[in-house]
Amino acid sequence: MNARRSVSYVPFLLLVLAFFCSPTYSQCKVGVPAIKVGAQGAASGPHSDYGRQIEMGSIMAMEEINAAGGILGCKVEVRFMDDENKAATGVRNARMLVTDWGAHFLVGTDSSGVAMAIAPVLAELKRIEFFTHAATHRLTEELVAQKGMREIVRVSVPVYQDAIIAALIFKDRKDIKRWANIGADYEYGYVSWNLFKETLKKFRPDVEFVGEAWAPFLTLDFSPHISAVMAQKPDAIFATPWAGEAVQLLRQALLQGVFDNTQAWWQAMGGSVDVLEGITNEVKADRFKGKLWATARYIHNWPDTVENKQFIERFQKRWKRLPNYSAETTYSAFFIMKAAVEKAGSVETSRVIDAMKGMNIRNPGGVRVFRDADHQFIYNVPAGRPVIDPRFPIAVLGDLKIFPAKDYYRHPPFTPVSAAK
Amino acid sequence: MENAVYQGLVGLSLAMYLWLISAGLTIIFGVLRIVNFAHGSLFMVGAYLAYTFYGVMGLPFALAILLSLLGTGALGFVMERGFLRRLYKVDEAYQLLLTFGFILILDDAVKLIWGGVFKIPPMPAFLDGSFNVVGRPYPVYNVFVIAVGLLVALLLWLLFEKTWWGRISRATAADREMASAIGINVPRVFSGVFVAGAMLAALGGAIGSPVRVAAPGIGAAMIIQAFIITVIGGLGNLKGAFVASLIVGVLSAYGTLYFPVFELFFIFVIMAVVLLVRPEGLFAR
Repeated sequence: MNARRSVSYVPFLLLVLAFFCSPTYSQCKVGVPAIKVGAQGAASGPHSDYGRQIEMGSIMAMEEINAAGGILGCKVEVRFMDDENKAATGVRNARMLVTDWGAHFLVGTDSSGVAMAIAPVLAELKRIEFFTHAATHRLTEELVAQKGMREIVRVSVPVYQDAIIAALIFKDRKDIKRWANIGADYEYGYVSWNLFKETLKKFRPDVEFVGEAWAPFLTLDFSPHISAVMAQKPDAIFATPWAGEAVQLLRQALLQGVFDNTQAWWQAMGGSVDVLEGITNEVKADRFKGKLWATARYIHNWPDTVENKQFIERFQKRWKRLPNYSAETTYSAFFIMKAAVEKAGSVETSRVIDAMKGMNIRNPGGVRVFRDADHQFIYNVPAGRPVIDPRFPIAVLGDLKIFPAKDYYRHPPFTPVSAAK
Repeated sequence: MENAVYQGLVGLSLAMYLWLISAGLTIIFGVLRIVNFAHGSLFMVGAYLAYTFYGVMGLPFALAILLSLLGTGALGFVMERGFLRRLYKVDEAYQLLLTFGFILILDDAVKLIWGGVFKIPPMPAFLDGSFNVVGRPYPVYNVFVIAVGLLVALLLWLLFEKTWWGRISRATAADREMASAIGINVPRVFSGVFVAGAMLAALGGAIGSPVRVAAPGIGAAMIIQAFIITVIGGLGNLKGAFVASLIVGVLSAYGTLYFPVFELFFIFVIMAVVLLVRPEGLFAR
């Protein structure tokens, strides 16, 4: 449908909308029938819970915003698509959501690989995407800060959470000298490991990185990877396969007695709800012997605030499950979008971006502050060890190590970190 | 040296999964001349059924595996009788389309029935633990997988070489018109073979369910490996599938140990080398 033809449909559409919609939305102040948000994430395969959580977070945010009168009187609509964790599908979805469905904003994206493919297309589509999971530092540091791609905004904490906070925790463990890596075989796995090595070396010139194994998506059997790194007799293991793959990896590691023969295991994003659900029985039986460490981009038992508690209650009531971090980051992205649109008085991309300057917003996950230099929202998430807490049906992170965000976020001017093996 | 031995044993268990999935694929191709793209999906269904019977309903693990085989076998029966049977006479492209369609249908079906979230049942107690091999803990579970794989190899060999049914199947594979002419009920043989192949795929999925994962999409991951195995071993050749599984399983485990950076391409490199040397596969007739 070309633009001129579509304009001729507007009066008709308005009539239809006026007929169907409650009067609340009849005076949308930005002059669109509805503010449309196209969401996407991995909704199939071992990582599918993330896509589902992005969808749940989106729908819940939409329902709450609409119940409270919308954004500037405009109703919000959401359409969710499965990116299948594939770059090509993600790009195709983004184009389809914007050009065919008419999305004003995009939100979501799980994998760094998919995010790096979508990002360059955003300028052409003239749409902001609020990235709520993909973690490669390059998305914000390189593409926004260095190349000036302004349409990229990240609501979730990047690989700083996976790598730098780990280095800060383990720099004081003098008993751990030999680190090995079991990595997700794509950008996220590479940058996590490289950033971890770089940061830890600064504090501990004595540590050695003794082995690595790389597992591509849809690896069903990690036993050769586990045995390959255990052959190097490491003191500790740094692991980045996530979601269902993290659960398999940890359980297969237990079978090989890894937790009897090492001092620590760092499971990046092991604090996600799906992983905690998957290892609850093992945590109950203390199979990890207190050596398992994990973090996430938000955990439901922190921060201890009214907003967070109420968010958890509403989420459980709405979905009969606990939210994982991609649900919280996506939910929060909607409220960031709402605040920015209200401030800009428009859904126009460049005005909404300008309106985010200096934004400081309270979300369930805590206060998020927008960093102009690279469009990264800065907020705190602790790391810890999975424990059983009687208040929750599944294992949660306990023994929390809380670092101020400024201590473990990288800051401009950004020095390059290799995104290769 | 110890590490090499240990890694080889890990590779052996990896090989057995490959063997179980490629055995069914290659038998079905050998007798029915059908390239069943949905074979990986049967593996996935087997994993989900085992998860349900064992992880959800709490039946004994062995019984859960058996029921998973029967359930997937029944699905295979429906696929063959209801759909594939209509395509034996037409161009092969239609088989590809149909079996590919089954991948999409089964992937979405498991999402509808079990949801998108991955499923991993608890570990059966008798398979939990390890014992020392070359001074390192080797999982009992991997030994169990190796034992099942070898047992299946033995049973299939007996079945095809020593039984009446095996001889009929081989005769049908060799010349279906002649088999039909001497009074063999070819359609029944086809159904039997397809069901047996589906059960083999299910077995691979079921025995791995407590340590691996049941999730939408695992069928697609397995089918690629299974095809590589059958190409290396020679399409339709059971011995070839077994040997190729051992080669690929063990070599990719060594690849992970000695060449971690190239691990991803390893299996394709092996296939390329075999195809260069023997384009028809190692054991093609």
